[in-house]
Amino acid sequence: MFYMVISVLAGVSIVVARIINAALASRIGTLQSTFFNYITGLTFSFVFLLISREAVNLQPAKFGTIPVWACTGGLLGVIVIILSNFTTPRVPAFYLTLLIFIGQLFAGILIDYFISGDISAGKIIGGILVLAGLTYNLLLDRKRGD
Amino acid sequence: MYNSVSLFIGVLISVMIMINGTLSAASGNYTAVVIIHLVGLLGIIIAMLPGKAFRFKLKGIPLYLYSAGTIGIFTVLFNNMGYAALGVSLPLALGLFGQLLASLVIDHFGLFQMKKIRFEKKKFMGLAIIFAGILVMAFL
Repeated sequence: MFYMVISVLAGVSIVVARIINAALASRIGTLQSTFFNYITGLTFSFVFLLISREAVNLQPAKFGTIPVWACTGGLLGVIVIILSNFTTPRVPAFYLTLLIFIGQLFAGILIDYFISGDISAGKIIGGILVLAGLTYNLLLDRKRGD
Repeated sequence: MYNSVSLFIGVLISVMIMINGTLSAASGNYTAVVIIHLVGLLGIIIAMLPGKAFRFKLKGIPLYLYSAGTIGIFTVLFNNMGYAALGVSLPLALGLFGQLLASLVIDHFGLFQMKKIRFEKKKFMGLAIIFAGILVMAFL
């Protein structure tokens, strides 16, 4: 339950960050605002690390065992931002939101399958329901926009 | 073409959550967030090198506009914690639910200087279907 709430809060934080970032991006550009997001993000995550218990227990020897691919997530984040810059002005928001979610959902179900080893019918059926609800609300938005 | 790029963005986000979650499990939550931001910063600097992206003026920009990066730390932390406990697809659906709720509240009250858009009661229907989907994903 705790982790379910945490995951909902992850979504809330995305929306708040997106609004503030859009305001900064409209003044200095998207790449530039992203640059500052990483500067402040890196600075404060370093502060968080220092005040966490992790800094005391840091074992540099363990870092050798981390595969290189596991360190590429930050790079993927930047690629996502650059690609989004490219598609956002060209794809209607309705399709953009749906397509990104469909991509996320089916890749997510596949990854879960590779990790756990069995395909979950609940995740596919539930995922389709989530998609249906999202589509319904986005249709309401589009109707109002017309 | 643009549609398939949008679809691809979604796939990338899921792969990224898996990669970041794996790093987090190996190095610890807070160490992982530092590494992720460090690699991301290098990436955005490389992306900005060609062209004139580094020529910008910061005069008159209020300090709070720089806070998105700090909020982003929580996004990464929460994603990594969710991944460790629940995998990729369920936290994704929950995150979407959180995004919709936050957007509706912000729009309804016109928070963050956004235009006020009153909540449409019909949207309860969509939220209820999404919530039902989440329950099916979590418990079936």
